[in-house]
Amino acid sequence: MTNAQGIAEASKAPAPLRGVRALDLGSPYTSYATKLLADLGADVILVEPPGGIAGRRLPPFYRNEPGDEGSLPFWFFNTSKRGVTCNLQTSDGRELFQRLVDTAQIVVAPGAGVMEALCCPYERFRERKPSLVWASVSGFGDSGPHRGWLAPDIVGVAMSGIMTLAGFPDRPPYMPAGNQGFLAASIHAAQGVLLALRVAERGGPGQLVEVSMQEALSMAQETAMQTWDMQRTNRKRLGEQRMLPGFGTYECADGYVYSMVGVPAAGAGWSVMLQWMEREGMAEDLAQAPWPELLSSVNRRTLAALMAEPEKLAEFQAKMAHVEEVLQRFFRAFPKRYLYEEGQKQRLLIGPVNSPKDLAENTQLEARGWWQGVEHPELGRALRYPGPPFRLARSPWRIRHRAPRLGEHNIEVWHGEMGLGLQQLATLAGASVL
Amino acid sequence: MAPLAGIRVADFSWFGAGPIAGLALASFGAEVIRVESQAHMDGLRSTQPVPPGKSGPNVSGYFNNFNAGKLSFTLNMGQPGSRELALELLKTCDVLLENYTPRVLEQWGLTYSDVVAVRPDIIYCNVPMQGSWGPHRDFLGFGAVLAPVAGYSYLSGWPDRPPIGIGTNYPDYVINPGHAVVAILAALRHRDLTGEGQQVEVSQLESTINGLGPALLDYTVNGHVTERNGNRCAYAAPHGAFPTTGDDRWCVIAVFDDAQWDALKEVMGRPAWAEDDCFATLLERKQHEDALEARIADWTREQQAEALAELLQSRGVPAGVVQTAEDVLDHDKHLLQRGAYVYLDHPEAGHNAYDAPRALLSATPGELRAPAPLIGEHNDYVLNTLLGVPEERMVELLVQQVVY
Repeated sequence: MTNAQGIAEASKAPAPLRGVRALDLGSPYTSYATKLLADLGADVILVEPPGGIAGRRLPPFYRNEPGDEGSLPFWFFNTSKRGVTCNLQTSDGRELFQRLVDTAQIVVAPGAGVMEALCCPYERFRERKPSLVWASVSGFGDSGPHRGWLAPDIVGVAMSGIMTLAGFPDRPPYMPAGNQGFLAASIHAAQGVLLALRVAERGGPGQLVEVSMQEALSMAQETAMQTWDMQRTNRKRLGEQRMLPGFGTYECADGYVYSMVGVPAAGAGWSVMLQWMEREGMAEDLAQAPWPELLSSVNRRTLAALMAEPEKLAEFQAKMAHVEEVLQRFFRAFPKRYLYEEGQKQRLLIGPVNSPKDLAENTQLEARGWWQGVEHPELGRALRYPGPPFRLARSPWRIRHRAPRLGEHNIEVWHGEMGLGLQQLATLAGASVL
Repeated sequence: MAPLAGIRVADFSWFGAGPIAGLALASFGAEVIRVESQAHMDGLRSTQPVPPGKSGPNVSGYFNNFNAGKLSFTLNMGQPGSRELALELLKTCDVLLENYTPRVLEQWGLTYSDVVAVRPDIIYCNVPMQGSWGPHRDFLGFGAVLAPVAGYSYLSGWPDRPPIGIGTNYPDYVINPGHAVVAILAALRHRDLTGEGQQVEVSQLESTINGLGPALLDYTVNGHVTERNGNRCAYAAPHGAFPTTGDDRWCVIAVFDDAQWDALKEVMGRPAWAEDDCFATLLERKQHEDALEARIADWTREQQAEALAELLQSRGVPAGVVQTAEDVLDHDKHLLQRGAYVYLDHPEAGHNAYDAPRALLSATPGELRAPAPLIGEHNDYVLNTLLGVPEERMVELLVQQVVY
């Protein structure tokens, strides 16, 4: 596929979720799910309490200035959505919300417990509108002994089984960056919602889509689950284990790279690596016997044989310590981008440990026009946002506009679409319903 | 009626991201046919763990968990005649799914324009590591390299230790397959509205970095590079993993407000140290976080992890056990009650646990209809029932190792 064919002209092409309205109650478990729906063209309306959702006050902030309208996470998670306020803890607010639900195909909400506490149990909405798709997304789901557990991201991450796999044996395990529990819940919720939408649009019933953050993230245990099931051992965090020279995280001139050069069948092997090191004048004695033959003799079979004989393994690892030293000197001499691009040209499996800055400068993302300019009119500038997680050629993903300011679309929605008079809106605003 | 009843998927993908997307589709009613080959076998089929004493391509827990409910058709794309057979199959399919580097599909003659010629409304979903075009399109990728390339390693872990990653090929399991499924479902809707299929590309790099959106924005907008911060949170304290009794057992505790801090102090028995001014407010606790964590750890070291988590939660303090797979499968009564793991009987691997579908739909629930397929198990179904290949040609295909 060529560049030209790669992405349809976004502003002209139809959006795949056109004609769908989804209401978003702004929970941390679902903000990414509704971003996916919104950027795919659904009319997603974020319904917030008059003071705004907690997500509006999460750092980091634009220019490090805290406030309700400068949260970068909020901006990221709420692209393409409209925003209204509505106090569900008032009878007026609940009635407005019901009227809005009447116009929607999808509601994406926190768990049943939270909705009950708001006097808005989902059963009521589903009875009134059987075709409704209601996503109920929470830390631990709507049933079971932990149903009521408080679940910030770290709790879901710990209980899912993935945290135990990360880190160094001499320290506590650690969580992945970026609230992966919330993200996993959202990604499964988005899948469930679109599946349920498909059923409803083909004449089937509406339905409940329940997702538990713990369960959603537990799928990322890789082989740990099966290892316990089949072999009754628990995978543990390994820290930095130098199984083979050339396999692992290495310091370089401006940070770190991750190398799999030593791994059999993972791209070009040691002979190519040694040639490169020689060209740079840094192969030292590795270019001479016995090193080249020794290194190219490492394959799955020889490795397995060594593992079975501890003495031979120890001998091998002692020899490899010298290879490691030379290799470390080589990596330390060059910046990560050079090691990456030059290495990959030779089919050597080296990847940079990229920081956000490195990603902002990444050649591939730049060439593919991945970053999106999003206008912030009140700031008088466009900001550079992360681009598409996927590219549909004929019905593309698109950030249509920045995240909504608090109550930004109250007039448009309550007055323009739902028919409330301005005087009525004034009454409701005065009473903190809006 | 299952959401994807009547949809047929040719799943040419292998390893993690592609097959897990295919798994979701199969679980919700699609007929998903793994197109694989003994000549070019999915590496996961021979990857640990396997049940003790078992061997061969059908007993890997790694492979089997991602391929429940699918069919397997062996097609050796290296052989003459394979392309024609592939296209005959694709003619009957709604979706093609694959995650090879772009050259592979080009070599096989199964690019989007090749397939669209036989099936104009095909939804052609490719999941290449770096995208199908661009200066890095042919770069080698393994899931293990993706986490560092996509920023996860840099941002995770201890500030004073190297960025070694998060212990798994993390993007393969939720983010990338999830994005692929969402994109395919969106494309199916577009097809319902217009009759048009399309190409759907999920660059694994572009997909994965969407999981770190706020950190990326912090750089592009503020010029600030987020750094590793262990288990801490900028607006909570304590927030971390604390040692308990037992070997390598930990309990996470997270306190976000005054009420939770007070409740935690109560559970700890209101020790004198906790009443010190230097822990009285969130700002104070952030300023003295090392000391705070050390004090709490001294206390948690005497506690049993599960009991501690239950107690704290019952008092309104967010807490949880750092669970192992053993905990998740055998001891977590919440997961057991909810049926998060399904046990299926596989003819070679035996009685094993599989992940149940994670989106619970009330009217059309997902379902693992079968364990993972044996390699080539459904050759007869595909050749005979689906494609109506006559007997003599079938024999030829087998003898010439096209179906292999």
